[in-house]
Amino acid sequence: MAEKKVQRLPAEALFAKELEALIAAETDPIPTGWRMSPKSVLTYITGGTKVKGVEITPKYMGNRRLVEIAIATLVTDRALLLIGEPGTAKSWLSEHLAAAVNGDSTKVVQGTAGTTEEQIRYSWNYAMLIARGPSPEAMVKSPVYRAMETGSVARVEEISRCASEVQDALISILSEKRLSVPELGVELPAEKGFSVIATANTRDKGVNDMSAALKRRFNIVVLPTPSDIATEMEIVKTRVSQLSENLDLNAAQPDAGTVEQVVTIFRELRGGVTLDGKQKLKTTSGVLSTAEAISLLANSMALAGSFGDGRVSDGDLAAALQGAVVKDEDKDKVSWKEYLENVMKKRGSAWLPLYKACRELNG
Amino acid sequence: MGPVFFGVRHLSPNAAFQLRRALDRAKPELVLVEGPSDLDSEMHWLSHAETRFPAAILAYTNEAPVRTILYPFAIYSPEVQAILWAAEHGVPCRFMDLPSGVFLAMEQPSYTENPDDGADGRQDGDSGQLSTESVYQKLETLTGEDHDTFWERRFEQLADGYDEAAEAFGGELRASAADSKRRTAEMLVREAFMRKTIEEAVQGGVPAERIFCVCGAFHVEGLKNGPVMTSEEEAKLPRADASATLMPYSYYRLSSRSGYGAGNKAPEYYHLLWKALNGGGAADAPYLYLTKLADAHRKAGNIVSSAEVIEAVRLAKTLASMRGSGIPCLADLRDAAVTAMGHGHFSELAAAAAQVEIGVRIGALPDGASHTSIQEDFYRQVKNLRLDKYRTAVAQRLDLDLREKLTVRSEEAALGDLRRSFFLHRLRILGVHFAAQLPSKQQGANWGEYWELRWTPECEIEVVESSLLGDTVEGAAAFALKERADGAADIAAAASIFLDAFLAGMPAAAAHALSVLQGLSVDAAALSQVAATAEQLSAAVRYGDLRRFDPAPILPLLEQLYLRACLTMADACVCDTAAAAAVTEAMGKINTLQLNHDFLDAGRWTVLLQDISDRDDLNTRCSGYATSILLERGEMDEELLAREVARRLSPGVPADLGAGWFEGLASRNRYALIARLSLWRQLSGYLDGLDDLAFRRALVFLRRAFADFSPSEKNDIAENLAEIWGVNKLQAAEVLMQAPTEEEQAVLESLDEFDFDDI
Repeated sequence: MAEKKVQRLPAEALFAKELEALIAAETDPIPTGWRMSPKSVLTYITGGTKVKGVEITPKYMGNRRLVEIAIATLVTDRALLLIGEPGTAKSWLSEHLAAAVNGDSTKVVQGTAGTTEEQIRYSWNYAMLIARGPSPEAMVKSPVYRAMETGSVARVEEISRCASEVQDALISILSEKRLSVPELGVELPAEKGFSVIATANTRDKGVNDMSAALKRRFNIVVLPTPSDIATEMEIVKTRVSQLSENLDLNAAQPDAGTVEQVVTIFRELRGGVTLDGKQKLKTTSGVLSTAEAISLLANSMALAGSFGDGRVSDGDLAAALQGAVVKDEDKDKVSWKEYLENVMKKRGSAWLPLYKACRELNG
Repeated sequence: MGPVFFGVRHLSPNAAFQLRRALDRAKPELVLVEGPSDLDSEMHWLSHAETRFPAAILAYTNEAPVRTILYPFAIYSPEVQAILWAAEHGVPCRFMDLPSGVFLAMEQPSYTENPDDGADGRQDGDSGQLSTESVYQKLETLTGEDHDTFWERRFEQLADGYDEAAEAFGGELRASAADSKRRTAEMLVREAFMRKTIEEAVQGGVPAERIFCVCGAFHVEGLKNGPVMTSEEEAKLPRADASATLMPYSYYRLSSRSGYGAGNKAPEYYHLLWKALNGGGAADAPYLYLTKLADAHRKAGNIVSSAEVIEAVRLAKTLASMRGSGIPCLADLRDAAVTAMGHGHFSELAAAAAQVEIGVRIGALPDGASHTSIQEDFYRQVKNLRLDKYRTAVAQRLDLDLREKLTVRSEEAALGDLRRSFFLHRLRILGVHFAAQLPSKQQGANWGEYWELRWTPECEIEVVESSLLGDTVEGAAAFALKERADGAADIAAAASIFLDAFLAGMPAAAAHALSVLQGLSVDAAALSQVAATAEQLSAAVRYGDLRRFDPAPILPLLEQLYLRACLTMADACVCDTAAAAAVTEAMGKINTLQLNHDFLDAGRWTVLLQDISDRDDLNTRCSGYATSILLERGEMDEELLAREVARRLSPGVPADLGAGWFEGLASRNRYALIARLSLWRQLSGYLDGLDDLAFRRALVFLRRAFADFSPSEKNDIAENLAEIWGVNKLQAAEVLMQAPTEEEQAVLESLDEFDFDDI
């Protein structure tokens, strides 16, 4: 199958079975333009049950209430803004919401410093434009345009990284729910079911802070970092196993102890205090998010699978940790060394091999 | 047909609303309400026209330790509405639960720990049943919502059939849960008693079907089918000697600690629900809540547009329908507000939410509704002293001038502020947090007292609790002071009790504290403690007349303390540098004491000081300090000082001892020292006579001695020395103004690394 070669399938393809089962089992009323009822969307995201014999895996583990608010926002045809620290599953949640609501999570505008207004509205196929003049065929529709046409959900990633004129282009679309194309003398009204899910990063605050006018058009949901170590470990474990399946990593899953060690280190360095709250720590400049912990473990598995004996060794883990914690600054190195000596060394025998491996890398 | 049972949840607006409707339909001849049956007399006050809710009934034991039970009521309490309905329709109404004394006795630790009773044996383990709490927990995991939200969604929004629904819920809860044996037993006893009350009412001639019972939903089944308590059984119930009183309550308190275990975290919100139910219906509540919240948020200086409020309402409704309820409940409203108005952060709305959900409402009772004699005394005094306007929830300043006012005619008015001060100090002693004393800003006088007054329902409880100590505020304060004095362990504690009695204008209590103090002072006490105590007593003697206090009983004690200090002072001077500071401080205090009171033997003090000043075996700082006091008192002439300086600062004496002495000397009375040129001549001579190494040592210590001199004092000294060295003032000033040269800097820095040997 051609699909096999795709590096990363969109959510609706990856979880097609679950979505189909949910649609088949639907009993509640379905909002216009949606594929399933809000309750089923919630089930799809939070998972943990079986529908028609299909196990629904949890996609977002954390505050269930936040997911409810996000879905309810989409029902009221309001735009949804997910904000949070990097790696708090904002894009992940937005992708799955779009997948469940429309079965299409691919109408995405990636916000960057170079995003232009045309990418929000529409642009032209200039060759055709010059040859034939303005015509619907010469028009290149943006993902937002297509979403309005079909009454579905468009996603705007990292909205605060866009220049303010690009953000402003969204305002009229969100308040008027229409888009005028003066070149063709037409106006496109958004079909029922159209909505926008945007994500923004709290670390990028101030890069291009959103205007009050735009903020007012969004319902804002703040995604927190996982509230406790058990939730975070659960997230890491689930995602690592999903990833390793996709990537054919040929390595054994890291055991619970390893996951716990990584998550503990991340939580402690992120919070600037040990988990028992007794010791203050220096934080590092890197974002030690849950997503980072997941990719760290996947990396170690790749290392172990390709060059080792297929088991994640402490040496692999130490190398990966070094890379994640110590970004380019000398300061991080000092913090990391202090952490090794003051915290990890005193944690007893379970931590000793990892400590030794880390110690070796830091001389 | 049996009586009508209406199961409610305490503090539930819809229960109250539906209850009124049910009462209108049933038109009973007698209303029975779950509540202590000995407190029927309070009903009259609860339905009084001047009563403003929230209010609470407080029952308390008459013996220490005080145990209390609280029955809080809000306007939306079903019990309150039942009582009000009965009063409006002229229908008799009574409480039907166990008397408060029985409740208090059952709470008693000795009773609950009785092993025969099988107490504390949680049933969870042996029978596999769950406690009520864990059923609630299970419900929470099942619905994904906390218990309050569950209740609000299922019951508060129910338009019809509330009583059946509540009864069914209570019955199910009863069937699936079992608390510890003791709690279950307690519940059965209560229900049997309530049945007995109902039985008695029937025997009294009221047809059973005309009786309307308001009780917790949990009890309905027990009341319908349970056993009836016999008179013999009732006689066997434990009983504590108890009293009860009505008191005002506040929504803040209701939200932070609720009785009954039925949470009421958002009383102002429930109040709003109650108003909505009686107005346009429950569906109005979301609009009311969100507009009020927006209003409060705007008043705090934030911008909220109407569009955001509209979005919040829409979102709340969608959230509610996702949960399968038609009307949003508080959790939906709050989440919607945070999302649409608070930019995703609850912290932005927290202040406004506290205002709209908890609120600042405080109840009020008509005069005469409170019962303990101490409450009556308290209110009488508050009125007499014109403090009633301070009985509000907002903190207010009260500045008192204790001096007698000569411009007014009656003595009462002339000493008004003093009497207020006495009263407030007595409350402070009783631990009634009505008034907090602010630090005085007066210097050299103490006729001003500054207070901050704030009334909270807690104050009322504290006043009621004080009723155990006495019948009046003064009597209770006296008793409290006596208890404290008898338990005092050292003279500092006894002195502070004395001071409290003195401030509160209670001579008898003060005398008792003094006798305790006297007894304790016979035992060995540290010099600094003796000095501090003497200082406090001295203040009472000197300013006693301001508070109309007769100092006579203090004088002999003051003499004793003075004598003791004089006798132990010399020995205390054998100490190290660290302890010397405390000794010199005590020395200073005793000196002030002697100067303030002529009756203390001055001769003894000067002889002692001379001795300390002369002796070489004491800490030199103490000796120096004694010398400085002598100088100040004019007991040492120029010649003697010159001799002493020469002796102390002779080259043979180790530099640290010499400089330490000088430090002691220089710590008092600096102007007199600076003015004495001869002193500086001698210091100069001393420095000249030192060899290089000894000079450097001395320099380090002298530097420390001069460290806390002010710049202008240092300048004066420099000028003195300049004169001795034959430099004129201008030249000296010029040298002083120059920044140190590099060379000098290096020399100064080398001092930092000075080797102190073993010092």
